[in-house]
Amino acid sequence: MSSDEDESMSEQEEQTKSGKEDNGSVLDYIMSLESVPSKLPPHLELLKTRVLCKIDAPQHTDTIQYSGAYAALGVDNSIRLDNFRQNFKVQVNRLTEDDIEFDMIGIDPALANAFRRILIAEVPTMAIERIYMANNTSVIQDEVLSHRLGLIPIGADPRLFEYPENAGNEKNEKNTIVFKLHVRCERQQPRITVKSNELKWLPNGSELPSEDIKPNSSSKPKTFTSFSCSQDSLPEFSGNPIAPRNLDIILAKLGPGQEIELEAHAVKGIGRTHAKWSPVATAWYRMLPEVVLLKEVEDELAEELKNKCPVGVFDIEDIGKGRKRATVARPRSCTLCRECIRGGKEWEDRVALRRVKDHFIFTVESTGALPPEVLFTEAVKILEEKCERVITELS
Amino acid sequence: MFSVGKQLPYPVVGDAGIDKQFLAAPIKSAVDKFQLLPEFLKVRGLVKQHLDSFNYFVKTEIKKIVRANDRIVASKHPNIYLRFKDVRIGEPSIMVDGSPEKITPQTCRLSDLTSLINKQGYSLDCAVKLYSVATWKYAAPILVNVEYIQGSPGQMTRVEKNDVVIGRMPIMLRSCCCVLYGKDEAELAKLGECPLDPGGYFVIKGTEKVLLIQEQLSKNRIIIDTDKKGNITASVTSSTEAIKSKTVVVMENEKIWLLLNQFPKKVPIMVVMKAMGMESDQEVVQMVGRDPRYSSLLLPSIEECAKSGVYTKEQALEYLESKVKKSMFITDSSEKEGRAYSVLRDVFLANVPVHQNNFRPKCIYVAVMMRRMMDAILNKDTMDDKDLFKTMISEAKMWIDKFLEKNNKTSRFDFSHVIPKPLLAVQWSACDNIEYISRDTITNGLERTLSSGNFDIKRFKMHRKGMTQVLTRLSFIGTMGHMTRVSPQFEKSRKVSGPRALQPSQWGMLCPCDTPEGEGCGLVKNLALMTHVTTDEEEGPLISLCYYLGVEDLELLSGEELHTPFSFLVIFNGLILGKHRRPQRFATSMRKLRRAGKIGEFVSIYVNEKQRCIYLASDGGRVCRPLVIADKGISRVKEHHMKELTDGVRTFDDFLRDGLIEYLDVNEENNALIALYEGDATAETTHIEIEPFTILGCAMGKQAMGNIAYNQLCRKDTLLYLLVYPQRPLLTTRTIELVGYDKLGAGQNATVAVMSYSGYDIEDAIVMNKSSLDRGFGRCIVMKKKAVTIQKYDNNTSDRILRPDRTADNAGHMQILDEDGLAAPGEIIRPNDIYINKQSPINTRTQIIGSAANLPDSAYRPSREKFSGPEGESCVVDRVILCSDKNNMMCINFLFRHTRRPELGDKFSSRHGQKGVCGTIVQQEDFPFSERGICPDLIMNPHGFPSRMTVGKMIELLGGKAGVSCGRFHYGSAFGERSGHADKVETISETLVKHGFSYSGKDFIYSGPLGVLY
Amino acid sequence: MELGSYSDQSKSTFSLADEDHTIANAVRFTLNQDPRVTFCGYSIPHPSDNRVNIRVQTTGDSAREVLKDACQDLMQMCQHVRSTFDKSVNDYKMSKTVKDMDIK
Repeated sequence: MSSDEDESMSEQEEQTKSGKEDNGSVLDYIMSLESVPSKLPPHLELLKTRVLCKIDAPQHTDTIQYSGAYAALGVDNSIRLDNFRQNFKVQVNRLTEDDIEFDMIGIDPALANAFRRILIAEVPTMAIERIYMANNTSVIQDEVLSHRLGLIPIGADPRLFEYPENAGNEKNEKNTIVFKLHVRCERQQPRITVKSNELKWLPNGSELPSEDIKPNSSSKPKTFTSFSCSQDSLPEFSGNPIAPRNLDIILAKLGPGQEIELEAHAVKGIGRTHAKWSPVATAWYRMLPEVVLLKEVEDELAEELKNKCPVGVFDIEDIGKGRKRATVARPRSCTLCRECIRGGKEWEDRVALRRVKDHFIFTVESTGALPPEVLFTEAVKILEEKCERVITELS
Repeated sequence: MFSVGKQLPYPVVGDAGIDKQFLAAPIKSAVDKFQLLPEFLKVRGLVKQHLDSFNYFVKTEIKKIVRANDRIVASKHPNIYLRFKDVRIGEPSIMVDGSPEKITPQTCRLSDLTSLINKQGYSLDCAVKLYSVATWKYAAPILVNVEYIQGSPGQMTRVEKNDVVIGRMPIMLRSCCCVLYGKDEAELAKLGECPLDPGGYFVIKGTEKVLLIQEQLSKNRIIIDTDKKGNITASVTSSTEAIKSKTVVVMENEKIWLLLNQFPKKVPIMVVMKAMGMESDQEVVQMVGRDPRYSSLLLPSIEECAKSGVYTKEQALEYLESKVKKSMFITDSSEKEGRAYSVLRDVFLANVPVHQNNFRPKCIYVAVMMRRMMDAILNKDTMDDKDLFKTMISEAKMWIDKFLEKNNKTSRFDFSHVIPKPLLAVQWSACDNIEYISRDTITNGLERTLSSGNFDIKRFKMHRKGMTQVLTRLSFIGTMGHMTRVSPQFEKSRKVSGPRALQPSQWGMLCPCDTPEGEGCGLVKNLALMTHVTTDEEEGPLISLCYYLGVEDLELLSGEELHTPFSFLVIFNGLILGKHRRPQRFATSMRKLRRAGKIGEFVSIYVNEKQRCIYLASDGGRVCRPLVIADKGISRVKEHHMKELTDGVRTFDDFLRDGLIEYLDVNEENNALIALYEGDATAETTHIEIEPFTILGCAMGKQAMGNIAYNQLCRKDTLLYLLVYPQRPLLTTRTIELVGYDKLGAGQNATVAVMSYSGYDIEDAIVMNKSSLDRGFGRCIVMKKKAVTIQKYDNNTSDRILRPDRTADNAGHMQILDEDGLAAPGEIIRPNDIYINKQSPINTRTQIIGSAANLPDSAYRPSREKFSGPEGESCVVDRVILCSDKNNMMCINFLFRHTRRPELGDKFSSRHGQKGVCGTIVQQEDFPFSERGICPDLIMNPHGFPSRMTVGKMIELLGGKAGVSCGRFHYGSAFGERSGHADKVETISETLVKHGFSYSGKDFIYSGPLGVLY
Repeated sequence: MELGSYSDQSKSTFSLADEDHTIANAVRFTLNQDPRVTFCGYSIPHPSDNRVNIRVQTTGDSAREVLKDACQDLMQMCQHVRSTFDKSVNDYKMSKTVKDMDIK
């Protein structure tokens, strides 16, 4: 211990010297004074880095962002980019086709939340926006069916498409995907359920004529799209045809003699405009739980504590002589049900539930247009673009 | 006051006995009697009061009415007569070109007159078949068998004719005359009917009409009250098949007077007594009672009578003759006897019959009225509280009965008025007098009455407005609630609080919660779940039974004997039968007979110790409810009975027949001690509630949007609100299952956060999640109907529909028109779009030269119908229905559909009346999220809770959350915890804990904008 | 859009159109980390306006420059997040394939 102190002292002395030489800021000067501690006292450190989850409400939920917050204590609260780079860690826990869970350590909630918000609202996808209803004799109303179609996730990479506004609202192969749905339930047949697998991709664009067909015009009738080439001739789609991501979404039910014929046009958009363009089912994070036993919890109490927790945070270890002691085995699985601290003040004094403020367990559930890990990088990219936009706007 | 006060209505074991028995009794395990409820509803149904009343009318009452006036005699030729032998109601049908054609309710609903085609893009001329019907309603012919005299006065022959139609009777849906009666679900579906629809209403001119249940003071009962001046009155509203009158006996200036409509001024009661043959004052005093206090109260009246010099019957009648109102109808008989005499016989206390000029029962009745009045003067406690429900009855369908009776009579009058003319014209032999029975009087009268709701019966001086209402079809449960509504007889405007208060006697009969806010508060009530409204029952056998059981006949009793101590008066339906010396024994044996099914189950026996009377009632309109009988506190319904019920071996009626359950009306409830739960029963307990929550009605969210019926998309309502994605509530109740609310849901389950957010949630406003709305939360469909008639004019011209001119200036607004000039179903219609390209002739008055069909185009002016609506709102033409209306003109109905998503200012409510408008709509990313990424659909302000104390809502919040996490519907029935029909909050909380939620239901959530824990 | 005074460039309000809490809160964080900033905060004047106002007051430097630096910082942090994330994902995928192979 003493040697450590000596080292730090010598460092400080060096800093003092260099600070004086550089004619540095007042802060640096204060920092260099011997009597001033360079670290926060433990109780403040606790409040700074942990949320205390009490029985009725969390305490100290805010993060201390201001760089000079602890200036009076001689502690610099600013995080330099280098520090951030050093401390920031990402640890992937689970990665499947549809979702990812990873730990993001050493980052402020402001940033983590920005990623979450962008994932939900601003990462673009393709979704059906216009329906051309040729025939619908089913019981489901046109607009309700259209709404249902709109919510189907389309398995197409939105990065390969443009926003329709860019092309002056002209529908071409670069901004529109066209699907066709034509189902009929024959008379004398049992009822059928129309599912999303009935949506058939039309790589050549719309097939419905946009105007009344003139009988003597030999040219191809004008349709609702103007594709210059077939989409499946494009290299991106030649291998994998575009289809709805889930093929078992129920769209409608048809009785005998009923028929649905329509064409659906999907375009690129963002979740803020309509939730159908949101690429995630949801994206969220939670702060890392920290469960601390403030006192030794032994024997029957230990057993009680273990049984109290519905998710099995606590475990029991033998400490010899037939005595048992409770330990915190799986703090990550804590759901903040606060069952362990319910039952009077004495339990609140035994167990402390906390959250680590700069450790996020981030989960992204993709709807399928893009893999979840790509979604996250896309979201970060969008935040970068936003910064860039602000910078260009300011200069 | 009375020595009999110690006697309790049901035998009780002595004090010492109770303890021993109580201690020795095995521990009772409560029997789950819930299963009785669905059985009850299966037998009786939710709107049984309507159906029963109608069925009774159709099966019994109508026959009685016809029998009462069965013979019609030509006034000048007494030998010529017409006699109705039998009457019945046929099958619902309409007359099409002279031949009857069967109809179903759905066809009537769909047509103002006639349903034709549901235009689905067909051209007009393909399927038009116009019925020529005078009126379109769901009605059946009234068929009579008649016998009449035919031929000239010289040679008369008797002719019998069967099944003559005398009119058409609107048929109540699901009644015994309805085609839907006894049909199962598949058959109902085939008829286009919703199986969950309760019926009990009429279809008149395409609209559904309910006859409201009317609440009024009991008829034929003595009611003691004070009038405006503070005088004590005893009044009786008499009602018989022949007449309806109100008799009031009033104590004014220490003298007793009679008020009757036929006497313009009040007349002394003693004169009336004398006129009825009670010449001896002593006898009157004896009849009232020998207590000197009664005599002293009666003395001034006697003196008054003597002062006027009235001592004999003749003098009294003479005196009254001078007072009686001059009547317009002077019949021979009344001339002969004197009007006063006939008034006393027929109008005064009309409910007490006079046989062979024997006025004695009437005298005794008056004496009892006076005695009751004097009791009230001497002791204020005996005053009848008019607000008390026990003196009120819900008269369900009496009105239509009365109305039809009147109509039947008018038809008779028409008939007798018509007959003499042909007789005089000596054409009698040629014509079949059957033809003169006016069919339209009854038909039109009934139709007019039911569709306007105005009941005017001049003979009974009844003028009631708003007796029928259009059935609300805003939501399924709203419809149910409307059918069980009880409307008051008072005007709603009166600022009185007395009648509005909840009466203890309403327990179990009327829902204590369900009453409107505002002027109708407390006056408009709703029936509780298990209420039954009685119909009339045959009186004759019951009366003779009473005599058989030891009732001493009134005729045989002197005035003195009437009020001997220890004897009780026996009053049957307001009629004094006599007295009984052992009242308790009499009541018990009557009840035993009822439980054994020997007399009707709705007969009520009520021993009133204070008035020393036994009231028996078998008349219609009393509300009653079933209760489990208990012997010395031990329920008669045992576990094995319930098992037999669930096994289907036993029905609800078997429970009644075996004397396990009985119906009690409000009066008899006063003689019973009813335990709420089986466990609460003590030795004195006589009855046990079947299920405590049945005291409630079904008042859930009447304005709630959802489904209205299975056939909702095949209906033609002027305004229809539907929810696109209605859901079953996660926290259900038993009542919900009983009424079928789980099958025709209204509303959606929402993830709710109770927290303050954004400041746009003050004053109960709600913050909604935009993404939830995007995904279909709260999305609804509004359908509106517009009708266009193709008018025909007097000069043979008519409107016409033209093929749209696609080149015209306004072609843009005509885009949605088909070639037939009508809007095509499925087209999007915007404001100012034309949906029918109609033209009307300019000249509609004067006759035109030449054929009306060949009018030149210039003779027409356009009368197109434009769609009006808020700018920017686009509707869809849902359906186009062509039919003909009552004037046989073509009527085109357009149904416009508009799908809406919730927006700012829309009102939302939970099931606990916690309503609020949408204050702001917020993006999902700005919404808070929980540890598990759950994001609420809406946020409610917590300030709405402390003052409202909606504990039920807190339970629903917990129960819903537990329901989602464990995948089971939770129950929240009222009073259900004890009988296991509701989940206890403790168990719900434990479920929450098991799934990692907080015991209290509170979650820690992260701020959406900032990302930190709140 | 900047709302400030010419004479004193050290305090200024910046109004960003079509932005919300996402950028404002993140930039506020980076601004707060900058020792030159004495005060910073943001507000959304009206929820139906797609606009956010960021207030920056500095010890003396130009508020505009400080905000620009803050954005720059944020961008660099993002870049670092992205690279770290990609690396971890790759690591995870690698380890997973190795594990899968192990199983086989």
